[in-house]
Amino acid sequence: MKHLKLFKSSLIALALASSTASFAQSIAITNATVHTVTEQGVLNNATVIIEDGKVTAINPESVTADTVIDAEGKILTPGFIGSMNQLGLVEVGAVSRSRDAGDKKADITFDASLAFNPRSTVIPYSRKGGITSNVVVPRGGESMFKGQTFVADLSGEFDSVRVSNNAVIIDLGAKSKGSRALDLQKLQVKFEDATKKLAKAKKKAKDAKDKKEAKEPSREDKVINALLAGDKALVAYADRATDLLALLKLKETFSLDLVFVGAADSVLIADKIAQAKVPVVMAALDNLPGSFDSLHASLENAAKLTSAGVNVALTVDGDTHNLYQLRFHAGNAVANGLSRDAALAAVTANVADAFNVDSGRIAVGKTADLVLWSADPFELSSHVAKIWIGGKEVSTQSRQDKLRDRYMKQSNMPKSYLK
Amino acid sequence: MQKFLPSLVMAALSVSLTGCLQSEQQDAKVLINKNPYPSTYQALPKQNTLIKNATVLTGTGERIDNADVLMVDGKISQIGSALSAVDAVEIDAQGKWITPGIIDVHSHLGVYPSPSVESHSDGNEMSSPNTSEVWAEHSVWPQDPGFEAARAGGITTLQILPGSANLFGGRGVTLRNVPSQTMQGMKFPAAPYGLKMACGENPKRVYGGRKVLPSTRMGNMAGYRMAWAEATEYKRAWEKYDADYAAGKNPEAPVRDIELDTLKGVLDGEILIHNHCYKAEEMAMMIDLGKEFNYHSGTFHHGIEAYKIADTLAENGNCAAMWPDWWGFKMEAYDMVHENVAIVDAVKNSCAIVHSDSANTIQRLNQEAGKVMYRANENGFEIKPELAITWITQNAAKSLGLAEKTGSLQKGKNADVVIWNQNPFSVYAQAEQVFVDGAKVYDRHDEKYQAKSDFLLGQR
Repeated sequence: MKHLKLFKSSLIALALASSTASFAQSIAITNATVHTVTEQGVLNNATVIIEDGKVTAINPESVTADTVIDAEGKILTPGFIGSMNQLGLVEVGAVSRSRDAGDKKADITFDASLAFNPRSTVIPYSRKGGITSNVVVPRGGESMFKGQTFVADLSGEFDSVRVSNNAVIIDLGAKSKGSRALDLQKLQVKFEDATKKLAKAKKKAKDAKDKKEAKEPSREDKVINALLAGDKALVAYADRATDLLALLKLKETFSLDLVFVGAADSVLIADKIAQAKVPVVMAALDNLPGSFDSLHASLENAAKLTSAGVNVALTVDGDTHNLYQLRFHAGNAVANGLSRDAALAAVTANVADAFNVDSGRIAVGKTADLVLWSADPFELSSHVAKIWIGGKEVSTQSRQDKLRDRYMKQSNMPKSYLK
Repeated sequence: MQKFLPSLVMAALSVSLTGCLQSEQQDAKVLINKNPYPSTYQALPKQNTLIKNATVLTGTGERIDNADVLMVDGKISQIGSALSAVDAVEIDAQGKWITPGIIDVHSHLGVYPSPSVESHSDGNEMSSPNTSEVWAEHSVWPQDPGFEAARAGGITTLQILPGSANLFGGRGVTLRNVPSQTMQGMKFPAAPYGLKMACGENPKRVYGGRKVLPSTRMGNMAGYRMAWAEATEYKRAWEKYDADYAAGKNPEAPVRDIELDTLKGVLDGEILIHNHCYKAEEMAMMIDLGKEFNYHSGTFHHGIEAYKIADTLAENGNCAAMWPDWWGFKMEAYDMVHENVAIVDAVKNSCAIVHSDSANTIQRLNQEAGKVMYRANENGFEIKPELAITWITQNAAKSLGLAEKTGSLQKGKNADVVIWNQNPFSVYAQAEQVFVDGAKVYDRHDEKYQAKSDFLLGQR
């Protein structure tokens, strides 16, 4: 068994070696205005070196690289990170056979990354928005646990799933049938039972008397245990302040790594959320009281939460196809009081931190997901000048561009002959 | 319209008097009240206002720098430089931009309001593929907080439409975006009604699932044609009645049919078509359908593929209302291009519109139009703000049959005006002050002019 494993890893090493040979080109981006989203802040006329998919140096003393790109002072940011959508799990929303995000029977163990399609046309389109990676969230089924998130990059390559099963999704709050109380109760009981079981198993293992091997926990229990151990985040969709408070209490009792999503009424308890260090993933443009759970939705919430000390991550709510608009949402948050730096963090580092993703900052050793912008990344008038995912430059050309070009060309033959 | 009615009655009476002499005794003429829920809208308290030193986009394709705009008695009185006026409130708008009030031709505010609870779901009468008899105005909840959010985005006029489940969804109504306890208090005076029609996937999905026509696109077409054929007969019956009565006979009036009244209104040219229709081949057929039954096929809404038939749309005088970037939520929305609006606009005699169909994006139609302008300019167009603004002002007014009243800053037009803190096609732009008929209805910096719906009062 061991030998086999060794053999396998050497194969991987070989594969890596050959692939690096083909694209181990080093790239230097010079003369850029680098928004690092780290303590280093913004570096003017800066140089960033990319090698083997990572950022290997910032402002080195001498620049040696296979390719040198003069950024001409343009803004370089970490690639933006999308979240809370079904990228790669849906091609056309209303076409059931192009959807893989949910299943009636899906439970807490649901791993939708198995269905991820890097060839979806939504992916190159989303790159137009400077999105380099994305936290994909399944829709699950009847259970309040909707399954587990995974992180994929937007390279369009077949190996673009970076991390699978990295957080557990739970949907709480208002229900059209039944009471929200039962879900909260069930959740509490689940954690209590799992804690007891773990303690029992621990005791059993100590008591050497019992020679029988401890029973393997069920797959479901393993996920709950991972939540209790803080190995996975519990990502909770909830809006009303009472639900958020109930979750904060659970976090305290069971030391959970908790993330709020939506959280329309979170401004009512912003201090408590900040104290508990729970990040809030929210839609900046969601400002209408869609339900009695979200009476406090407002365009100013991103700014208010941030100034209360909450780590805010921005997401585009609704349809996955709108993911590319994330940068405009950040711009609108700025127009409504959020600082530019905080807005940039809210679409990069803060998303990375909430979901334990190794990107979202420009720093030595980080994955080289980078975007060079024609101008202010949040403005309607700017566009992606260049984009790198895992150190590789990718295109923003999409099917939409082909369609536009076809219909803007004059021809005496039907458009179908223009390719 | 109200003023018009008594004279009609008089005419009918005099006809019946002369008719008596010639032949049989005539019964009172059966008349249909075409405006039974009349507007009670009145402009909010207003003052003459002079806005000075702004960059003005007139909505007619012009831009005037360092210009003053004078509003007198609720109308645009003058645009020029160094204007002065006695008894006018002066606003220094140095560095700010002025546009006509923004118009959304496609909204469901009030009929699908916030909060979106079941009791408020009043936008789609999904009980028959032809519900021309329903009127969206009868579903409008004026306390929808979405109206005030839209006002903060510069929306002064909006058409509320029924949903798209049916081939004929019912009548739409155009509202002034002012707070009121009643729908009538918001109703745009003398605005023509719209008739919502829907192509494509929605009707065939909703009724196909019930094993009722339509379950296919050919079923959709059959459904429209059968309805228009019936409406043609209905119109003929009324015309015969009117003619016979005028000739002194005592004809029996046709049986009143509320559903056919609406379709007849279209055939009479009084009600405008607003057609949810995504695809090129379907829009082309809807244009022919209008020709088959002698009505104009109106405005296509959500015309995702309008760019494929931009010439046909312009040749036939159709407006197309579009999103800048929504796509992929269903098959008929798969072929979106960012430049759609620009490509449609580029044809001579075109009428390109940016619409929202959303309680959220209606708050930022300026940004929606901006996205189109910038993407198009990256790909060979040279569109300026003065043109882009027409997509959400003048062209929208034209689609609603209101171009004579609103949608542009021209002498004599309603003083529907937005003052923006900067170029409205920036992501950071915000409407600072909004005027409807010369009355200030919103001020970002003065709480006195920030309305709050009854629903939110006391709980937010």
